[in-house]
Amino acid sequence: MSAESINIITIDFPDPDRTEIITDRIDGLAVRSSQNLVHILPEHALSNYQLQSNESFQFPVQNIQTLSSKGVERGDDPYGLLYIPALQTDECRNSEKDYVPKNATRLINLPYNAGYALIAVAPWFSSNCMKEYFLTARNEPVKAFIVYQPDPESTATPPKTNDQVWALNDGGSWQYSNQFPTYAVPGASGYLIASQMSNYSGNISTVPYGDSLSKQYPESDYIRLWAKVTADSGTQLPSLWVFLVIVLGLLILIIGATSLCMHFVQRRRRNSLRRRIINGEVDLEALGVKRLTVPADYLSKLPVFPYLGEPDHVEKSMAQASTSVDAETGLKGVPISRRSSAADAPPATHASAIFAQSTCPICLDDFEPKESQVRELPCRHIFHVDCIDPFLLNNSSLCPICKQSVLPPGYCPSRITNIMVRRERLISRRQAQEASGRSHSPGNIVARLPAAYDSIRARVGGVTGGRPSRTQPRTVDIEMSSGTYPAPPVGTISTATPAPEIVAVPQPTRQNGVEEYPEPPSDQPQQRREWTRQRALALLGNRYGLVEGESEEEEEQGRSRWRRGLNQIFPGFR
Amino acid sequence: MSASAKKRIMREYTECMKDTPAGMKINFDEQNMTKWEVLMDGPEGSVYAGGHFKLEIIFPNEYPFKPPVVSFRTKIYHPNVSNDDKGSMCLGLLRPDEWKPPNKVVAVLRLIQSLMVEPNIDDAIEPSIGNEYKENRKEFEKSAKDWVKRYAK
Repeated sequence: MSAESINIITIDFPDPDRTEIITDRIDGLAVRSSQNLVHILPEHALSNYQLQSNESFQFPVQNIQTLSSKGVERGDDPYGLLYIPALQTDECRNSEKDYVPKNATRLINLPYNAGYALIAVAPWFSSNCMKEYFLTARNEPVKAFIVYQPDPESTATPPKTNDQVWALNDGGSWQYSNQFPTYAVPGASGYLIASQMSNYSGNISTVPYGDSLSKQYPESDYIRLWAKVTADSGTQLPSLWVFLVIVLGLLILIIGATSLCMHFVQRRRRNSLRRRIINGEVDLEALGVKRLTVPADYLSKLPVFPYLGEPDHVEKSMAQASTSVDAETGLKGVPISRRSSAADAPPATHASAIFAQSTCPICLDDFEPKESQVRELPCRHIFHVDCIDPFLLNNSSLCPICKQSVLPPGYCPSRITNIMVRRERLISRRQAQEASGRSHSPGNIVARLPAAYDSIRARVGGVTGGRPSRTQPRTVDIEMSSGTYPAPPVGTISTATPAPEIVAVPQPTRQNGVEEYPEPPSDQPQQRREWTRQRALALLGNRYGLVEGESEEEEEQGRSRWRRGLNQIFPGFR
Repeated sequence: MSASAKKRIMREYTECMKDTPAGMKINFDEQNMTKWEVLMDGPEGSVYAGGHFKLEIIFPNEYPFKPPVVSFRTKIYHPNVSNDDKGSMCLGLLRPDEWKPPNKVVAVLRLIQSLMVEPNIDDAIEPSIGNEYKENRKEFEKSAKDWVKRYAK
């Protein structure tokens, strides 16, 4: 704590030896100890004793250098009566005469044995004598020590505490030995104070304005100089709780910043996923990232018409249907998609497709000509409206027969969730691994697929093209009723689906009944065993997984509350 | 389970009754039509001939959009049937991603019958039995017949 200012004023106080009513006049100022009267003049009482500025010495000292702040507590600024400590040796006493006026205030000029708070003043004229000053001051109730270099002209701030002029040839130990702070004032101020102290060392009639003052105060009163040091609080170390608050604040700041960053990153990932979905680079359904459903407003745009038994009726209705679809796609601003191209296909093909499907594959009832309302999906499979609509709305966006998506390419769900982002990233990472693994040793792929991958697949149950679990072509003999419910002929598909670049993950191999899966490893029995085990797990897991929680909402529900809260703060953190 | 699904199961049952595959008997409870019990004789000419196998078909709520779950309640030594108390089967059109609504239960039953005649080794759920079938047919037949005697009489 360095001193900001030292204010020197003149006060009047009664002689404790001559006054029996100390406690009355100096209310609360005098503390009677067991043997001695110990007088401490507190700050708040100053106004009672301070002399008027027009008839006394008042001097605010500027340019103070704090040499030592020992013993100064926060909010406890030093104050006291000014005096010059006594010297021990004759040599110093003789030298002192050159710097200090002869009758400057000494301890003897203060009430005897009265233990007032004191502030020592001394010129720093020699290191030996300075040691003597300090030695004396240490044995007296000194609150602070004011020193000054013997240079009457200097008004600048004295040098800093480590300067050579403050050396006492004791390695600086005087600062620690003194139990009071030490302040250096400019030489000019020091001389002024010392000369004023010589004015205020005698009895009341000898001080300046003594005539008028002696009329106001009893003759036995003392009139002396008083100093009050104002220390600033700036350099004090913050206390522990302030430190804790700062640490806590920093922690919150870091957490907040991290959270913000992660939210930002996650947001970018969502946007990137959305962009890639719209561009057709990612097919959520095919990847098994999310099982999409068809929104009601979109479903209502799929053509519905009464099932017509006769070809010309069919053609007419198809023409209507196709125009309506075109109008809708035009309204939606969707570029030519497989939907509209389906509508553009020759009506004859349509008619045959519709004729080929005379039974609703869901309820197995035959369509009643002109009575059954059928909905036609973009793949041109038809179903009872009542049968297919709930499925598309609630379960899946895939045609139950050919697993082709009902949604237009680039369809993006309105809400991209962080879970979708996570799944997509996980799956694409696995696929990259898989691709690199395939090029090296195809046998290890399954073993390397972690269970998480399969569980995601199982939850969503999407049609996946890359699952390495099948090894043989689909057995044709179990494809039942192929005459009754044919998939549209392959040739028709190729004309009706002329946009492979917008169908993100097509499965052409499936259409032909051939699937490409890696062969089971045949070289090592150990590998093979692991492979089959994993596959069996995947098969069973898939089957049961489908029945249970499959949506991300359920996945979200399954996690504990604090995990969810944590995820709110740190999205993308697992 | 929706009314349409019930209707469909009902309809399939009627069709099954009209044209039950040989050596099969279907126990159907109208109160709980989502669980069928099928008694199937081991097909003649197969290692399972002479055995009587109890199967359970459970229809999920989403039927026909999801496949029925088929399990052998009688233990059977077969590469495509899991060798535990579940007796699970999972292959071909019974897999969720390959199941299509037009498929019918009767087709599933026919598939099982054909699998009993000739197991599908590449899709074995019990790879050890599958390996045995492929590499040591005699041993396989012996075990299968042994199991038929022990569990399926």
